[in-house]
Amino acid sequence: MSNRRPASSTPRITDEQIIELVSKLQQLLPELRNRRSNKASASKVLQETCNYVRSLHKEVDDLSDRLSQLLSTIDNDSPQASIIRSLINQ
Amino acid sequence: MSPSQQPSSPNPTHLKIRFARRFLRALNNLNITKTSPDDDDDGENRVYRRSRRVKIAAYTAMASVVGSRRAWSRAVLWKVRNRSRNRSLLSVRPRRKRVDCKITNNDHDHAKVFVRRRNPNPKRDPFRDSGQVLKLRKLVPGAETMDSWCLMDETADYIKCLAAQVEVMKTLVDLYTTT
Repeated sequence: MSNRRPASSTPRITDEQIIELVSKLQQLLPELRNRRSNKASASKVLQETCNYVRSLHKEVDDLSDRLSQLLSTIDNDSPQASIIRSLINQ
Repeated sequence: MSPSQQPSSPNPTHLKIRFARRFLRALNNLNITKTSPDDDDDGENRVYRRSRRVKIAAYTAMASVVGSRRAWSRAVLWKVRNRSRNRSLLSVRPRRKRVDCKITNNDHDHAKVFVRRRNPNPKRDPFRDSGQVLKLRKLVPGAETMDSWCLMDETADYIKCLAAQVEVMKTLVDLYTTT
């Protein structure tokens, strides 16, 4: 099928490839990883993926809020600062 | 990228270590400018700007660890670079053509980027514009014009790296709060 058109560089995306990717995504999602049946529907996996990405973005926001607050109050001579400094200079 | 090749997936521990190092270095650089007093800034604005700088530092550090081998990391670095460039140049910038189709500019600012579409044929790519896929395209940076296979591959890599980033940031917060 792909040899018919000279302009196309990629063959048709087969269903098997999509299924393989969907299962790969499913392994990464914390919600669906523990399911006994590894055949969650593609739409469910996609929905969970969107939710998971959104929740990760929100967590990064929250964590960066907390980090910026903590960094402004850090004492330069505390033991944590020296640990951080040694980690950076490695 | 043809669907037959699979790029190697990142080892999560190496990823975390490299990300942690870059992020800490960036935070260290940030710390110097943070303590400088801004008299014309009210407290809330200053706090918001600080956390925003930390967030940008985190995403930039992760994207630079992954480098240019992934479309999402290229898109993130491109966005950050554009943001700092648009701040310094306030005039309208000329339009530029880009041949590389995987980078899209999601800013609604002056610079416009033309992308060449690959694989828009619905026969070859039946899932391209279905409902959930559209939402995913908005969430993953740089994924707006990819075909379905590339999109899901990028999403998998993006999720792995984001999860590693979140874990490192959590560890850092724990480290800083134990005083």
